[in-house]
Amino acid sequence: MLHDFSYAAPTAREELFSTLARHGKTAEVLSGGTDLLVNIRAGISTPLHVVDLKGVAELAELGFDATEGLSIGACVTVTRLLDDASVRKNYPLLIRAASELATHQLRNRATIVGNIVTASPCGDMSSPLLCYGADVEMASAAGTRRLPLQEFITGVKQTVIQPGEIVQRIIVPTTFCGGTGNYLKLKRIKGHDLGVVAVAMLRYGKKIRVAIGSAAPTPVLLPEFPSDATAETIKEAARAAISPIDDVRCTREYRSFMVEEFIDRLLKEVRA
Amino acid sequence: MKSIQVRINGDLYEREVRESKTLLHFLREDVGLTGTKEGCGAGECGACTIFMNGQTVNSCLVLAVEADGAELQTIEGEAGPNGELSPVQEAFARHHAVQCGFCTPGMVMTVRDLLQRNPRPTREQIIHGIESNFCRCTGYQQIVEAVLDVTGQLSDTEQEGLKYV
Ligand SMILES: Cc1cc2nc3c(=O)[nH]c(=O)nc-3n(C[C@@H](O)[C@@H](O)[C@H](O)COP(=O)(O)OP(=O)(O)OC[C@H]3O[C@@H](n4cnc5c(N)ncnc54)[C@H](O)[C@@H]3O)c2cc1C
Ligand code: FES
Ligand code: FES
Repeated sequence: MLHDFSYAAPTAREELFSTLARHGKTAEVLSGGTDLLVNIRAGISTPLHVVDLKGVAELAELGFDATEGLSIGACVTVTRLLDDASVRKNYPLLIRAASELATHQLRNRATIVGNIVTASPCGDMSSPLLCYGADVEMASAAGTRRLPLQEFITGVKQTVIQPGEIVQRIIVPTTFCGGTGNYLKLKRIKGHDLGVVAVAMLRYGKKIRVAIGSAAPTPVLLPEFPSDATAETIKEAARAAISPIDDVRCTREYRSFMVEEFIDRLLKEVRA
Repeated sequence: MKSIQVRINGDLYEREVRESKTLLHFLREDVGLTGTKEGCGAGECGACTIFMNGQTVNSCLVLAVEADGAELQTIEGEAGPNGELSPVQEAFARHHAVQCGFCTPGMVMTVRDLLQRNPRPTREQIIHGIESNFCRCTGYQQIVEAVLDVTGQLSDTEQEGLKYV
């Protein structure tokens, strides 16, 4: 049994924002519900009001254009991203990470934006989005604002988002379209599991971009490297940027070791 | 309470439901369709898998109010009108892919969805395809064989072996 709350699914943006403004901190936004309902059930989240975003049609938009890039609306599910031809063509790392996220059933509900807002260090979408230089666009009754993803996530499950505000979309620029790379995720089992540690690497022309998940309070984007950088240079930068911990899923040492191992494997791949 | 309308296995239901009720509990407690099971209640085990608007979902992580206007299919809609088993159910029974049966409704939904997306999955693809559903009895082997059989991929020797189990 979940504790009682009210439920609203506004169909217009204005109504959505006024509902959220009215309820302030007592409201939680609902998108795919794959984190929120787990948290409510566990008593970690205790909203008096649940406000569903899925009534607002424009929040479900997913589109690519050559100037702005890829726009991923708040209600775009992981499955929809996986099925999208323009994402498959232009953003292969997003596809790799999305196909590693949870299970098919969960991907049918879970949203890309929800994954970012949850801001778990092991969230699968953060690292590849960081590699592609994604921005987060927020909106509320007061207007909209836009921030780079690395400024949006501020700590373990913490973001800059304010009560009354939503993320309306993620924008992935075209800057690195056509780049190649991969996303490697270490799990405890072959089946679905949260990442123990994960590394995304993107090579674009003379540049290499690397982001690391589950190895610090937030996903980490390393400074950009020239494409002929040595593995040691990248590993040194990684060591300086991460601060892995011991937890139920693995030890600090193993995390550090696997980050470096993944850097070696990915470098081989992007140079092949 | 909120009023919702859902179509389940072809029949229309209109009910008043608590906003905080999950779709799983709505099906089991309010509609009386107890075929769909609750294992973990948190998205991990797949026992609660049903079809919602053509896609499989974990019904423990959907609110009943979110299903207003939706089309649902549960295990109760799997067999034919006179109780004749579907090909997937038939294969499960033949291969002893059911022991305690708790995972079976969700597993059958998942397998049907897998076969809709990929009519002839390899052994590897079957194993990957059912990663969302836990079975604590069979060790999965019989389930994989049932899926291979229903897609016509069991060798003659394997078919022959079945006579003796
Ligand atoms: C069994 C299981 C396995 C999982 N495995 C993985 C995994 O392998 N990898 C992984 O990365 N994740 C995994 N997850 C978590 C993953 O499903 C979620 O992070 C998902 O992407 C969140 O999206 P959602 O739409 O379901 O969010 P919701 O649950 O709807 O929302 C999550 C949080 O973000 C807020 N929120 C959502 N959207 C917005 C918005 N647009 N604006 C403002 N606030 C918003 C909500 O209020 C809530 O606090 C798993 C979850 C489960 C239950
Ligand atoms: S009961 Fe829904 S996934 Fe376990
Ligand atoms: S048959 Fe018992 S859990 Fe699968």
